[in-house]
Amino acid sequence: MKTLKFLFALWKANLQAAMEFRAAFITQIIFMIVNNGVYFIFWVLYFDKFGNVRGWTVNDMMLLFGIAATAWGASAYFFGNFTTLGEIIANGRLDYYLSLPKPILLHVLASKSIGSGMGDILYGVASFAISGYFTWDGFLRFFLGVTAGVCIFISFLTIIQSLSFWIGNTVALSQVALSAVLTFSLYPSALFNTTTKFILLTILPAALVGNVPAEFVRSFSWTSLLQITAGAVVFLVFAMIIFRSGLRRYESGSAIQVEV
Amino acid sequence: MKSIFQFDNIMTSIEVTRLFKTFQTKRKSAGLAASARALFKPKYSTVEAVRGISFRMEEGELLGFIGPNGAGKSTTIKMLTGILHPSAGEANVLGFTPWKDRQKLAFHIGTVFGQRPQLWYHLPAIDTFMLFGKIYELDEAETQKRVDFLAEAFEIRDLLETPVRKLSLGQRMRCEVAASLLHRPKLLLLDEPSIGLDVVAKQHIRDAIRRMNQEEGVGVLLTSHDAGDLEALCKRVIIVNHGQIVYEDKVSNLKRKHLTSKLVEVRYAEEVPAGFHIDGVDVLKVGRYGVKLRFDTNKTAVDSVMSHLSEVGDLVDITISDPPLEDVIAKIYKEAAPA
Repeated sequence: MKTLKFLFALWKANLQAAMEFRAAFITQIIFMIVNNGVYFIFWVLYFDKFGNVRGWTVNDMMLLFGIAATAWGASAYFFGNFTTLGEIIANGRLDYYLSLPKPILLHVLASKSIGSGMGDILYGVASFAISGYFTWDGFLRFFLGVTAGVCIFISFLTIIQSLSFWIGNTVALSQVALSAVLTFSLYPSALFNTTTKFILLTILPAALVGNVPAEFVRSFSWTSLLQITAGAVVFLVFAMIIFRSGLRRYESGSAIQVEV
Repeated sequence: MKSIFQFDNIMTSIEVTRLFKTFQTKRKSAGLAASARALFKPKYSTVEAVRGISFRMEEGELLGFIGPNGAGKSTTIKMLTGILHPSAGEANVLGFTPWKDRQKLAFHIGTVFGQRPQLWYHLPAIDTFMLFGKIYELDEAETQKRVDFLAEAFEIRDLLETPVRKLSLGQRMRCEVAASLLHRPKLLLLDEPSIGLDVVAKQHIRDAIRRMNQEEGVGVLLTSHDAGDLEALCKRVIIVNHGQIVYEDKVSNLKRKHLTSKLVEVRYAEEVPAGFHIDGVDVLKVGRYGVKLRFDTNKTAVDSVMSHLSEVGDLVDITISDPPLEDVIAKIYKEAAPA
């Protein structure tokens, strides 16, 4: 309960900071919605020409895109430092968080909000709503799938970027990992063979933030539920263990740091 | 709950024993070829930032921890707050081992890093104060009451609703120190709080810290390379250099033992006679109507110098001063420097 109160206080502060530059905040949201819309037009044109791809229709793509965009947007909006954690570690900027009495990883991740993430959330929910798969119990499954997706996105990038404790700068590595997981999460699983599917469920968990939750929303199955919850828990625990063991090696630094 | 712990009937808030911290630093010669070599065969050297520091700080004490850049001051403070893990040694802060009980300890200490602002840059300070209230698990009414008190103590009431980015450095630092006291810590660790501040801003900060020490009994461990902070605030001083303690005593003793030379400036009603000279005294400057002297009180008696000066002519004005404490500290650094 205390942790939740703390999280809400951080999110409130993030929103207040964003509101200091209202025009920029609203512009980011609008542009992200437009950006996603333009990207999806290519899928619409593709399916218009080919009808379906191994059973996947444009409605399935809307659902997939809706889940992945919402999960990505929620990660960016509520845990915005998940893309910059490596830089924070390498530049010795964890001091601020370490001097305050709260769980360090949660505090770092939730201390930044990427405004465009709200655009992804709005677009993702709308995409799900018009996908033709919307039902109220489907919405609950959508929420669960997105929550698991958020856990996997932030855990996966935390694992990659925690390597900064050992190898220094991981900016390039995390950008490649981020791009890979995001790209593969937006393609239908029907395109991939068994080996690739296995990789996308484990080392590069793109399927766990896209295809598996999409299947789960389409129709409830215990296998899908187990895959997304186990995936989320395993990645989350692994991320916490790696970050925690790396923290012992943290070297701080003398760079000037500003909390925005 | 553990709190202040006790040694020999003295309430101790910090006890540090043989604390070491070493860092591995990558080394590389200049140039592209060296960069390529370092890619495949990196070379590392070990830097000993803190080398066996031991000290004790009493509850409510004002302790100065000073030294030149790179002396190990900030590294020590970071180990005492749990930010860094030491390479060896022990530390006990308010009954906690900082690097093991970081979260619990953070509820009882306040920290200010001069180069690491904790106030949110784009928000008014009041918003960070309220956020800190939640972080330190205070209820809203309690936070508001405390903010009111600190606003008065630090004279920041008019600044609280201005975005931090629009405050001057001095105003921001006052808000920073006030924020660090929101949760009524027993101990305040200040790392270079006056860095970059002008004389007036430094005075404001020092007055407020002294007041909090007197009214709330907050112990203050202050690192600085500004001897003015030390003179204005601290009762005791630890001087570190090259990761080791080179001096530890009361500030008054430091002055008594090391401020033995006096600077004297005299002004006469008539011209100073040619060949002005006093045995055992360095004549720094002789003007038409005045002289400037320096002497060591251990070698030359003050009485004797004064009577010589009055024999020369009618005195119009006389100023006797100590050399700046910074000079004394610099001398201690030099004496302690490895050959």
